[in-house]
Amino acid sequence: MEGDLLTVAIVVGVALIFDFTNGFHDTANVVATSVSTRAMAPGLAVGYAAILNFIGAFISLQVAATVAEDVVDPGSIGLLAVFGGLVAAIAWNLITWYFGLPSSSSHALIGGIVGAVFVADGADAIFFKEGVLGEVMIPALVAPTLAFVVGGLSILVIYRIVGRLRPGSVTAGFRAGQVISGGLLALAHGTNDAQKTMGVIALALVAHGSLPASDPTPPTWVVVSAATAIALGTYAGGWRIIKTMGSRIHKMDSAQGFAAQGAGAAVILVSSHEGFPLSTTHTISGAVIGSGAAKRLSAVRWGVAGNIVAAWVLTLPAAAAMGALTYGVTRIFGTGAAGPVIVSVLILAGGALLFARRAQQARTTATTAVEA
Amino acid sequence: MIAAIVDGGALLQVVWVSLACGLGVTAAYAIAIVGGSRAVELRREGHGVEATIFAIVGLVALGAVLAAIVAGIVALSDK
Repeated sequence: MEGDLLTVAIVVGVALIFDFTNGFHDTANVVATSVSTRAMAPGLAVGYAAILNFIGAFISLQVAATVAEDVVDPGSIGLLAVFGGLVAAIAWNLITWYFGLPSSSSHALIGGIVGAVFVADGADAIFFKEGVLGEVMIPALVAPTLAFVVGGLSILVIYRIVGRLRPGSVTAGFRAGQVISGGLLALAHGTNDAQKTMGVIALALVAHGSLPASDPTPPTWVVVSAATAIALGTYAGGWRIIKTMGSRIHKMDSAQGFAAQGAGAAVILVSSHEGFPLSTTHTISGAVIGSGAAKRLSAVRWGVAGNIVAAWVLTLPAAAAMGALTYGVTRIFGTGAAGPVIVSVLILAGGALLFARRAQQARTTATTAVEA
Repeated sequence: MIAAIVDGGALLQVVWVSLACGLGVTAAYAIAIVGGSRAVELRREGHGVEATIFAIVGLVALGAVLAAIVAGIVALSDK
């Protein structure tokens, strides 16, 4: 039981680290449009998003319920499978962060858990049709497409209504509006993404026997700690991804930024209400591309958009494979806490190595720029 | 086949509510900007009555935006 307690503590700790990396990796996407259109200074935008992420985590528990009950069978999975899925999601987040790809933390998490559970407990422990397909994959396709349509139509409506006004007042008006729309998007992100971590911690608590499988509602301490972790991750930033989302897809004006953020927030919030664990990255990407394409197709840098689509396609299977591998490596050391301890040390070392390489590259780039 | 897997009602609700809220709030905010901008211009040109009408339209539109946001968050937290 002591070993179990240590294992569950490690799993909860790793889940919160995942939540932190989720904020670090994903939320930059949320503030990118505000930064790109100069509606907010980067530091202010990130701090603002962090606060609203924290608040958003308390709004609903529908997505947590989906993750804890509908994707895999909470009654049959073990702690090591949850651990394997979490480590896979963190590793995928770190790799895509290192290469500057805005892939989905949410799909990495779901993919990692499914892969680990598949190897640990077999296909019967996974609700492939109604859960993975019906509540994750199909909404994952619908949401960015819907955000694309809403973002595109919104910008057409905006241009129709404000078309005859002076550009200066329109820009100022929509920059002010982006404080609201950006805040809503951050709130939506906190609502949907923090709940996924809550759902996974609930799964771990069920596996440990601390929560009943019939009602794995996350306790308050789980909600508070998940909200705090994602908010801290958001504050820590993710500037490389901001650059990709905000300006490399297309150069946008403040009206487009408002339309994209509004469309993304609407889709994520309504989906959260229905309990669909979406990717905020995918959804805001769809809205950003939609608002650009509606104005002028050539304004969108389709090559960058293509890289994002490739990351979307890769995430679920790659994370599932990594989840299966992580579970296998962890199991080599038995069913106790030794495996999670060793694998946690390895993932921390890997993360530190990637951060060190990234810092070194940044220093080299700065030195080259100064010499030039 | 797909209908048996997906909760079609929930997905359809996501589609129509997102469209209605996204477009509605965007349109209302754009009207608020038009109202505010035109009110300032008309007041500067000495058209006090028209400026007031535009200001009221802008304020009503802004109020609609804020009301929609509050209603949305309340609905979200109620379930």
